[in-house]
Parts: sequence; structure tokens; C-alpha cells
Amino acid sequence: MFDTVRNNKKLAQIILGLVSLTFAFFGIEAYVKSPGAGGEVARVGKIRVSHGEFAEAQRNQQDRMREVLGKQFDPKMLDNPEARRAVLESVINQKLLALEASGARLGVSDEQLRDFISTAPALQENGKFSSAKYDALVRSRGMSREGFEQTLRQDLVQQQLVGAITESGFSARALAEHWVALQVEEREFAQVQIKPEQFVAQVKLAPDAVQKHYEANRAQFETPEQVKAEFVTLSLDSLMHQISVTDDEIKSWYDGHPDRYQQAEERRASHILIPLSKDASEADQKAARDKAGSLLKAARANPGDFAKLAKENSKDPGSAQNGGDLGFFARGAMVKPFEDAAFALKVNEISDVVQSDFGLHIIKLAEIKPAKSRPIEEVRGEIADELKRAAAGRKYAEAAEQFTNAVYEQADSLKPVIEKFKLTAQTTDWIGKAGQGAGKLSNPKVIAALFGDDAIKNKRNTEAIEIAPNTLVSARVLEHKPAALRSLEEVRADIEKQLTLVEAGKLAQQDAAARLEKLRKGESVDIAWSEARKITRNGMPGVSPEGVRSLFKVSPDKLPAYAMAESPIAGTFLYKVTAINKPAIKPDDPRLKSAQSQLAQASGGAELDAYLAALRTRYKVEVNLAALEARQQP
Amino acid sequence: MAAYDLEEQEQISELKAWWARYGNLVTTLLLVAAVGVFAWQAWNWYQRNQAAQASGILTNVQKAASQRDAKQAAAYAGELIDKFPGTTQAALAVLLASRLQFDGGDVKTAKVQLNWAVDHAAEPELREIARLRLANLLLDEKATDEALKVLERDPIPAFVGRFAELRGDILATQGKTEEARKSYGVAITKADEAAKSAPGENDRAKATLQLKLESLGGVQ
Repeated sequence: MFDTVRNNKKLAQIILGLVSLTFAFFGIEAYVKSPGAGGEVARVGKIRVSHGEFAEAQRNQQDRMREVLGKQFDPKMLDNPEARRAVLESVINQKLLALEASGARLGVSDEQLRDFISTAPALQENGKFSSAKYDALVRSRGMSREGFEQTLRQDLVQQQLVGAITESGFSARALAEHWVALQVEEREFAQVQIKPEQFVAQVKLAPDAVQKHYEANRAQFETPEQVKAEFVTLSLDSLMHQISVTDDEIKSWYDGHPDRYQQAEERRASHILIPLSKDASEADQKAARDKAGSLLKAARANPGDFAKLAKENSKDPGSAQNGGDLGFFARGAMVKPFEDAAFALKVNEISDVVQSDFGLHIIKLAEIKPAKSRPIEEVRGEIADELKRAAAGRKYAEAAEQFTNAVYEQADSLKPVIEKFKLTAQTTDWIGKAGQGAGKLSNPKVIAALFGDDAIKNKRNTEAIEIAPNTLVSARVLEHKPAALRSLEEVRADIEKQLTLVEAGKLAQQDAAARLEKLRKGESVDIAWSEARKITRNGMPGVSPEGVRSLFKVSPDKLPAYAMAESPIAGTFLYKVTAINKPAIKPDDPRLKSAQSQLAQASGGAELDAYLAALRTRYKVEVNLAALEARQQP
Repeated sequence: MAAYDLEEQEQISELKAWWARYGNLVTTLLLVAAVGVFAWQAWNWYQRNQAAQASGILTNVQKAASQRDAKQAAAYAGELIDKFPGTTQAALAVLLASRLQFDGGDVKTAKVQLNWAVDHAAEPELREIARLRLANLLLDEKATDEALKVLERDPIPAFVGRFAELRGDILATQGKTEEARKSYGVAITKADEAAKSAPGENDRAKATLQLKLESLGGVQ
């Protein structure tokens, strides 16, 4: 049977060659891609978005927000269906862009990638690319260089698409003119507020209205579950109190670390400076030296007048005014040649000419404060504290373990640990389930433990929880208030008031509408209009956004024109527009330019949105909202 | 051969007979399949190569854009149109370049570029974007009727809202209040629909539309 093969060796070879060639081209990526962990929350074309991937995007979003908001960031901001949906949308958009980019074979060359990395501002050090910074960045993402570059390449390709669409947006000048004209238009108006309170007396609630409202809104009248707790804290500070240090220990520490309790010698000197830079010409050098020489002579001839001499001749702006006085300084504070000279002088002696980077100095020593040790009495407290802290640090690990075991094994009281570690118990006020009023205990783990069955039903201590580095807490519930429904009688008055106000608001609105109707018909209505004011579309204090809208909705054809707007709290407003002023805009008005660039940016953004929406239908996107939400409950 | 028993010999001769009959066909089919795969791969390789070259030029356009160098951008975009007209890269480059020409006051070149993109851009979405930009450009030249004409043909569904908004803008500048109102109405409906799939995202766009609509007066 293999005759054919044997007879057609060439042909067989070609076939084999082709087969292996196709392997070379297909590659094996297709077989090694892992499907990703977790259920699928969306499908974009053929790409599945796993829950793991979504969770990572969510984490990234949290990190970004934490960076921007700092301490104000609260993870709860993202813990709702809308926020999750928004994160998922952004993941989907990325996938769409990736699909489109790969379909269109958009690409970023190695060179471009290198360019981008080496010029990224965050990776520069002293104006140069820093390899160490790059590695640190890559590590902080928990990636390898290759992995990081792969992700970056994808980002850059998507950016190519997004950038080309958003940055190329523009807007006609005529539209900018129209837009600015809308912004600067002024309307003169008067208003009157029709308050619900005026109508309270007219409101007649149905006999069962309160009851019905109570039944329909039970959740509103529930008091939340609360606990009062007692807790103890084991920390380095608490351990320190139990440690005593003997005088001998303090003494031996003091003797063993003489350098730490010594004050170095300090000297006070004055100087005259003749500036001289290192690369000064020979002539300049000579002139400076001659000047210094003659000043030195003058100083030595009349040491008492050194201050006067310095004031007149020194070019050191800091000290010349004070007769050259530099105050006290220790070793290390001055440039080396100056220091050497100053520490070699005797009191009132004048140095030779000394050269430093600043120039030529003539120095006179004024005073010496000799080195001295701080007496042991003065530092006793300091040393005791330090020794105690060190000892507490050594003891902490062991104590923490004992504490953890004790609160667990003797779970019906905190007394044992209080006695053992000489701790003080603290108590809290009422704490809510979300941690309201928890004070020092506001740690999600502690709160969760306090509201657990173990703490409430079984009255056990919580386990030891680390709420800060080297700080353990255990708490127990003292009192528990379960969630309860307030009785109808208790809340009747409140409901009645609330419902009455709502009804009064409706009456106010009806009254306003009736008056508006009459005004529009041109009938006379008795209204105490406010003084006329001017307003633009940007609004002003005291006028709600709805009010601004209604003021600018009225047709300019016939003035005065009337409008009305409701405000949920303040009642209903009636407005009378008496004049419209459309200021002319000069062609070189700077607002035109900024409006044009704003509009260009807005249309670029809107077109990107439309583009993404179009890709969405092209590639078919399926969102599995149920899977998205189901996973949130641990 | 003598080592095979009878049964095996029979099987072998059967196979031989089968091969004698179908051998050539099988070989031919295999060959055709292999050549097909090879050609497909070669085509892909060719496309990739073209795309890589086009991407390189697109990068140059982007660099020119970031330096606001309209001339360079136009030159590179022209090169892309000449050499790789069917690529997405060419369309993207032309969009970028046209904005630079517009900013630089060279409306004529911008118009030529956008017209090219309207007719030849690889993706329908990019053609629609080019139409929106072209209409803006014509509006700037006070050629409002021409601008409306560019927008006349119905766009793909995702762009209906944008088209309606711009049409409303143009009609408003023409003083055709009633038609402008209608057009803005369509745009607002589309914004509402979009808000359903991505809540919260389009609030601002919608507020702007509403403001434009209400500025025409006569809206209760």
C-alpha cells in the first residue's frame, strides 16, 4: 500500500512539509489559553468575561478611586448594582475595542512600545529613564516585564482607536456662537413663592390615610438592630505598663551608650567673607587675596573692631549686618576648611586667611561651649521608656498568642485577660450594624463579629482581631436591641404631619397652576411679586434648577410671560419674565474659543459613545446580570 | 510478505485495492487542502504586513497631531490613502488630519479628506463619524443646505441620536424652529434609550439637548 508513497517520494515530502508549515503558522496559542476562573458575567462577541476578570477590574477601579479620593474613599461607593454595572460596561468597552483593533490589525511596534516606556514621566529619574523604577512599577502590579508589556501594548492599541476618534472631534464656529449666546442671555424676572404651609389648614386626610401609609412603608418605621459592647485592647502600650525597669538597667544602658546622651562641643565665631570662585582669573584671585591680606592685618591690629570691619567689608549677606557673627555651630554644620579653622582657634583669636568654596574667610572665635553629657537624672525617663518599649516588643508575640487563646477558651468573660494583662475594659454606646457609633471599634471585622450569633445569642467574646499593627481587640456584647417595628401610635403624629404637608404641597401647586392660567389669559391676579432680578441659564442662588429651566422655557415672543416650577421643599414658584436681554458677542470674544474647544471635546466624546454602541451591535454583547449580582454575596 | 498470515494478507490486499482506487483522490484532496491552508496563511501574512506598515504611518500622524503639525499630518495621511486605502488605519489617520487642517484654517484640505473618509473608510462607523464632521465643516462655511444633505441618508442605528442632534443644530441656525424641535426630540429619545443600557452616563448629554430644545421656545 505504501507503493504510492514510495513511488512519489517528492510529493509525500511536499505534503509533509506543508502540514508542518501550517503548524508553524497557526501556532499553539489557541490551545494554551486558559478559560479563566469563575462564572461568566458577559460575552462580547466570542470573548467571555469571567467573574474573575470582572473582579479584577473592580479592584483596579477601587485602587484608582482610592488614589484620587485618599481618605475619603469608601469601598461602599462601589458596592451597589449601578457601580458594578458601570465597571462591567467599561470592561465590555475594552473588549469591544480589543476585538475591533485586532480585526483591523491595529498594532504597536516594539519600537513604539519602547519609546512609550522610556519617555513615561513616572519612570524618569534625574531626567533619564530609570530601569529600577520600571521594575518597581512592574512588580507593584504583580507582573513580569513581558506580561506588563503585553498589557501595555493592548492599552496602546486601544488608545490608538479611542484617541483617533475623540481627539479628531470638532465643532463648527456657528455652533459655538449659538452656545455662547445661550449662556449669556439674561432674563429679567419676578417671582412669588406659594408655600404649602398656607394650605395646611385646608387639608383633610382620609381617616385611614395614616394607617395605610404605615402599612405601606413599614421599613421606614423600623428601628435598626443595635448592640452595646465591652472591649479590651492588647497593644505595645498596654504591655509597657506592666514592665518595670530597675535603676541598674537604666544605668548600664546609659553607660553603654555614651554618644546618645552627649551634647557635642559648639563654637560661636564671626567672619569676614571675600567671595572668590574657584575658576576666577588669576588677576581676580590676586586682587581678592590682597584684599583679604590687608583686612587680616587691620583685624589683627585692632581685634576689638572686628565686628565693625566685618560689617563694612564682609560680603556674606547673612552675617555682615551682625558684625560677621554666625552664632553657635557644632562640627558638621560648616564647610570643612572653615570648620577646621574655627575649631582650631582659641577664644578671641583671629585665623589666617582661610579658603573655602565660598571664597576667603577671616575668622574670629567668640565663645566655646564645651561638650557635655546630659546627666543621668535628666534622661532617666527617656531611657526607661525606651527599655520598656523594647521589652514590650519582645513580649508582644507571646502575649498576643496567650490573649488570643484566653479570649477564646474563656469566652464568657473578658475578666481573665483583663487580670492577666492588667488591661482596662472600655464600653461603647449603641452601635449600628454598619458600624455607626462604634468609635474605636469601627473595624468591619469587629462589627461583623459583634453582630454574629456567637456574640449575640451565645454571649461569647469575639475572637482576638488585629485592628492595627500590634494591636489586638476582643469585644463582647453587653446589651442587644433587635430590629423592631415602632408602633403605629408612636409614629402617628409624625406620619400625620408628613402626609398633611404633602397634601398641602399639592394644594399649593393647584393654586399656583390656577393663578398661572389666569395670568396667561391676561386676567388680573392679586400677587405680591418680588423685586425684578436678572438671571442667566447658569442660574443663581435661590432659584432651583427647575426654576431656571422654566424661566428659559417661556417663549420670548410675548412679554411679560409667566411660568411655574415646583420645588419639593419650598413649595411652588410662579415666575414673571419681564424682559429678555441678548448681549452681542464680539468675534474675538475669548468665550467663543473656549466654547468651541469644549464643544469639539464633547462631540468627540459623543461620537466615541456612538462608535462603541455600534460595535456593541456588530459584535453582539450579552450581559449576565444575574451572575454579576449572585456572586456578590459571599 | 511471507511473515504475514492469511488473514493479514487478505487485509493488506484489500487496502491495496482501496488505495489503487482512491489513492489519487485522497492525495489530491490532501494536496488541495494543504495548498488552501497555505494560501490562507499567506494571505493573512500579507494582510498583517500591510497593516503593520499602515500602523507605522498612523503613528506618525498621531505624533504630528500631538505636535499640532498640520502639514506633516496631511502628508502622512495622504501616504496612507495612497498605499493602504482599505485599512482602518487610513480612516483613523484622515480623521485626525482633518481636525488639524480645520484648526489650521485649511478648510479645503479638511473637506477633501473628510469626503474621502465618507466614501472610502473601511468601517461603517468611521464613515458616519466622517459625515458628522463634514457637516460641521460645511456649516462653518454657511453651506447649511449642503450640510443637511450630508446628513440626509439614515445612519447606522447607533448614530441616529448624534445625527439628529446636529441636524437640529443646523436647522436652528437656519431659523427652522419647528423642524429643529422635531430633530432634537428624536435625539432626546435616543439619549433616553442609551441611558437605559448604561444608566447615568448620558445625563449631561441629555441636559444639553434639553437646553437646546427649550431654547427654541414653545416647549411646555
